[in-house]
Amino acid sequence: MPGIDMSGINSHAGTAAMVASAVDFDAWRARARELLKAGVHPARVTWRDGSDVCDDLFAESADAPQPVIRNAPAPRIARAHLQTLQRAARYRPQGHELGRWPLLYQTLWRLSRGDETALNAADATGAEVQRRVHAVKREAHHMHAFLRFHNDVETGDESFIAWFEPAHDVLDLGAEHFADRLGNARFRIATPQGGVEWDGERFTYHASCPVEWHARAQAAATADDDRTLWRTYFVSTFNPARLNHKVMTQHMPQRFWRHLSEGDLIPALEAKARHGGQRLAQEASVGERKGKALPPGRLRRDADA
Amino acid sequence: MELIDKLSILADAAKYDASCASSGAPKRSSRGKAGVGASDGMGICHSFTPDGRCVSLLKVLMTNFCLFDCQYCVNRRSSNIPRARFTPEEIVRLTLSFYRRNTISGLFLSSGIIRSSDYTMEQMIEVARQLREVHEFRGYIHLKAIPEADPKLLEQAGRYADRLSANVELPTLTSLKTLAPEKELGTIHSAMGQIREGIDAANDDARADARHPPRSANPKRQAPRYAPGGQSTQMIVGADATDDRTILQSAQQLYRSFRLKRVYYSAFSPIPERPAGLPQAAPPMLREHRLYQADFLIRTYGFQAEEILGGPGNLALDIDPKLAWALNHREAFPVDLNRAEPGMIGRVPGIGLRSVQRLVELRRHRKIRFQDLVALRCRLETLKPFVITQDYRPADAARDSQRLRETMTAPEPAQLALI
Ligand code: SF4
Repeated sequence: MPGIDMSGINSHAGTAAMVASAVDFDAWRARARELLKAGVHPARVTWRDGSDVCDDLFAESADAPQPVIRNAPAPRIARAHLQTLQRAARYRPQGHELGRWPLLYQTLWRLSRGDETALNAADATGAEVQRRVHAVKREAHHMHAFLRFHNDVETGDESFIAWFEPAHDVLDLGAEHFADRLGNARFRIATPQGGVEWDGERFTYHASCPVEWHARAQAAATADDDRTLWRTYFVSTFNPARLNHKVMTQHMPQRFWRHLSEGDLIPALEAKARHGGQRLAQEASVGERKGKALPPGRLRRDADA
Repeated sequence: MELIDKLSILADAAKYDASCASSGAPKRSSRGKAGVGASDGMGICHSFTPDGRCVSLLKVLMTNFCLFDCQYCVNRRSSNIPRARFTPEEIVRLTLSFYRRNTISGLFLSSGIIRSSDYTMEQMIEVARQLREVHEFRGYIHLKAIPEADPKLLEQAGRYADRLSANVELPTLTSLKTLAPEKELGTIHSAMGQIREGIDAANDDARADARHPPRSANPKRQAPRYAPGGQSTQMIVGADATDDRTILQSAQQLYRSFRLKRVYYSAFSPIPERPAGLPQAAPPMLREHRLYQADFLIRTYGFQAEEILGGPGNLALDIDPKLAWALNHREAFPVDLNRAEPGMIGRVPGIGLRSVQRLVELRRHRKIRFQDLVALRCRLETLKPFVITQDYRPADAARDSQRLRETMTAPEPAQLALI
């Protein structure tokens, strides 16, 4: 992270440290707007995740109404920029990564002062924001690609359930996508964090997923009759003459394999291809079947078809 | 024969076609409607097989019985392979089941030629019709067009399918004559021409509709769609001695004449019971990869096939075609990133199209420095000899291309260890 620009800090009244907190993007946005209006420099704010205001003895809480020192107009930034920030907020920082709110506030601070490079990938802060936007987009895409539905045995036909473990906050992006795909069919998506149900018309979100959904999703996966059909297809469509482990794992990270019905086939197929099966493109089990060459036949032309 | 056995045979028989794209379809959604399926123009890879290929569609043949005897093809009539045939209902059932489970985004249906070209095409259209009309399926459908079939059938196929493709299979007339004696390049081209006309006409109608929207909101009154995802084709590489330059020139010609969305290159895969005259081994996979890179340069960077390969021969395997071009055109470099046209920045090896956009955007606000290339994660070692920034000039500018190429392809020097 770049050193925070401290220039100009003295032109704003007050230099005391502050604590601000936000549960979600909207809450952060409301808080950030007040701080901007009050001219509070990013270096002065300590951001917390969550709603409980844990007062730091030495900090003045920004959650308490801020005295508006300058009568500043409400800050404005381009709608597209706001969307970028909103996307980046879905990123779940790991370990020593900078928290989501301080990063966004640093960026917002610069944008609101007309510094458009704050979001450019060539800028150190901009690069971090763009990296997070990219990671979120990728994870939403992973969810669209690698989530698997199975018939929900408990509710019967035309109702599906899936278990998925997203690395970032993309549950709603996935849910919207699947409502477009599945039409009137009802579905549930369970994750280690939240859960969502679609009844064919509207969504019901659960901030923490009902516990029994996980087991239900697992039961549905095991009971799925068409599981073998899919596994058969996967084996047959693979071309053992073109083994390429690197490309496969680049596109389909191994953390997803566990929940794919074809996941456990991959190591076996690779091993077989490495040990001799690699000469032909044809799947071995197909080659073992009885073959049939056809006699030269006459192709009927349109007239006699 | 059980459904599962047919699936195993007919998926195996279909895997030689490289295309699997599910992109380019118009926006469709089933939300709040009967039926199933959506498309948003973006392709989705639902899985990857260990060959690194994307699984996006259920890719099967309707049947692998075939009257033709194309030498490179596993399904040719003289090949002693297990044969099977799906009913249209079976393909529909598989498509819907896999789609609901989210393992595919649609269907790619091709077929061996049985009875007659028309009959075969009709059967394939029947599958698409059932999916679209009986089951209100709004996912992706790619149909293989049989060039010899009646133009009326191609017309019908385009109404149901998002993409149509007729394979040219081989890059030259001579290779087609020797290896696929029953196929005719003229027929393939006229089918492609017809598909292009269908697409163009539908686009014209759609444009007219946009200008004067029809009064009724009934979608049936609006311009009918025709293969909105465009058409593509496939060429087999390495089944004969055709060089890369000829292949790229054919591809370029196809892009120009038929406005194809994509040309797929499929490295010839060794098949059981290889007929005499076909190579024993597959060409290196790297050759196929270099062709795709060169194809990408033609489609999106504005390169000409003749620029990429000045004379007969194949693409270099040790360096990518963009770097090869730059090394052969040192007079055009180094490129000043603060002044050059965006098109020229795009020709710098190591700088991708997205970075070009960002650099152009950035230089409106301030001068570009070398550090910006670091932040944009461009390939620094590759681009160093070819760019000028506000604070950087290459020291290598005077070095000759041969030496430059050697340094760029040199294996990492082995670490010396103390003993
Ligand atoms: S027409 Fe030729 S390429 Fe097509 S399936 Fe028959 S033999 Fe194979």
